[in-house]
Amino acid sequence: MAVSTVYTVQIQSLNSISTPSKSHLGFNQLLYSSGKKTRRATHISCSADNDKTVVIGLAADSGCGKSTFMRRLTSVFGGAAEPPKGGNPDSNTLISDMTTVICLDDYHSLDRNGRKEKGVTALDPKANDFDLMYEQVKAVKEGIAVDKPIYNHVTGLIDPPELIKPPKIFVIEGLHPMYDARVRELLDFSIYLDISPEVKFAWKIQRDMAERGHSLESIKASIEARKPDFDAYIDPQKQYADAVIEVLPTQLIPDDEGKVLRVRLIMKEGVKYFNPVYLFDEGSTISWVPCGRKLTCSYPGIKFAYGPETYFGHEVSVLEMDGQFDRLDELIYVESHLSNISTKFYGEVTQQMLKHADFPGSNNGTGLFQTIVGLKIRDLYEQIVASKVAAPLEATKA
Amino acid sequence: MAAIAGVSITTPKIFASASVRSPKPSPIKLSLLNSPWKSCTTHLRMYVRPVAAAPDKLSDKVEESIKNAQEACSEDPVSGECVAAWDEVEELSAAASHAKDKNKDSDPLENYCKDNPETDECRTYDN
Repeated sequence: MAVSTVYTVQIQSLNSISTPSKSHLGFNQLLYSSGKKTRRATHISCSADNDKTVVIGLAADSGCGKSTFMRRLTSVFGGAAEPPKGGNPDSNTLISDMTTVICLDDYHSLDRNGRKEKGVTALDPKANDFDLMYEQVKAVKEGIAVDKPIYNHVTGLIDPPELIKPPKIFVIEGLHPMYDARVRELLDFSIYLDISPEVKFAWKIQRDMAERGHSLESIKASIEARKPDFDAYIDPQKQYADAVIEVLPTQLIPDDEGKVLRVRLIMKEGVKYFNPVYLFDEGSTISWVPCGRKLTCSYPGIKFAYGPETYFGHEVSVLEMDGQFDRLDELIYVESHLSNISTKFYGEVTQQMLKHADFPGSNNGTGLFQTIVGLKIRDLYEQIVASKVAAPLEATKA
Repeated sequence: MAAIAGVSITTPKIFASASVRSPKPSPIKLSLLNSPWKSCTTHLRMYVRPVAAAPDKLSDKVEESIKNAQEACSEDPVSGECVAAWDEVEELSAAASHAKDKNKDSDPLENYCKDNPETDECRTYDN
């Protein structure tokens, strides 16, 4: 199938060369005579061949494009994701070889002043243009480049658009990837990052206390003021997500600083191309403390749990980790006991976690489950591509 | 086309922030008069500085927005203005922390070498 598309593009690009050459020269001759054009033509045909892009949605509060999850995800595919070169320096977009990550804040219909005048938050659907979001995500999914607006977080204004070319994997990250039903239909896989209020408060304190002007009261007031809109518009999206990463305070020790975390990976059953991760036996309820004779852990230790549950009326499998990794051998020990993690070689999860050891969450379940979700997405992508190649072969056989 | 558009957006910012630092332009002008061929390198140096200024501007904006939010909420704690003001605080705090992280791990040599790997300073000898 790849070969045939090369030929069709060839003929189109060789308008200047007289067509009689086609009749008595073989196809091979055509390839040689066009020299450099051949290579450019094959390059065009490659992107036209994979004309459908895999779209992933990630719902996360106030964190866009540069967040740790995105960097881990793009790292699984290889290559570092960077802002587009030569474009707007305040662009929220990240591009790597295989992935493009866009921030849904770019689809704000009201800029900061507009929202202040109307008294709406960015969480409110009224401040977002879902029609444009749907049109552009649909276009990229079908292989058409779009001019996407840029929302400048520094100035609070909407900047002139930037060109987004369809990548193999298109990630849309923001507050409302699953809010609009039409956009939801376009997503091949969706993830919701659910941070519990206590952990959110602890993280925001860590982030903002160094900032001049902030105090404990202002941070608390900020969270509480946004809570009604958050609960009304953002939180309900978690029922639609294929995977939810829930971050809660630990149950191992009393800890109110949010340093030790209990992280739950909630995976929906029956999603096409997605096989949930499991521990020991799929469908059973397992409680596992890896620390013992073979592995010595440091305080407060590690505790795993796995089991089937129901989440908003769906059947799900939940894998839970409470505690922290302190040493490399703890990580590799845990990895060797998990099943269905879609690694290409033994130790890939550990390798990915070590690669980004400086990222927040690298020593607990957040980093582990984000890495595993990244590997699952890679597996999903490869399955989709394989199924697309298989479909036309089936058609020719029939 | 996108690249040209990018240049026209960024250059006004650079000139705007360069004009804020009034003492700097005069020594640059003198050297330009004496050795006009050096104009390219001085402009490069001019371009580097505004990047460091962004976090301070952002920190001021964060502080300002917190004051506005506290004022707006003192009048009516449940109004749309109060909520929107705190949302703005949240947005600016997030932007400030992102900018801080970006500056924290930007190494000027690494950044230069990413774009110009063939220059002498960036050559690596792997074999």
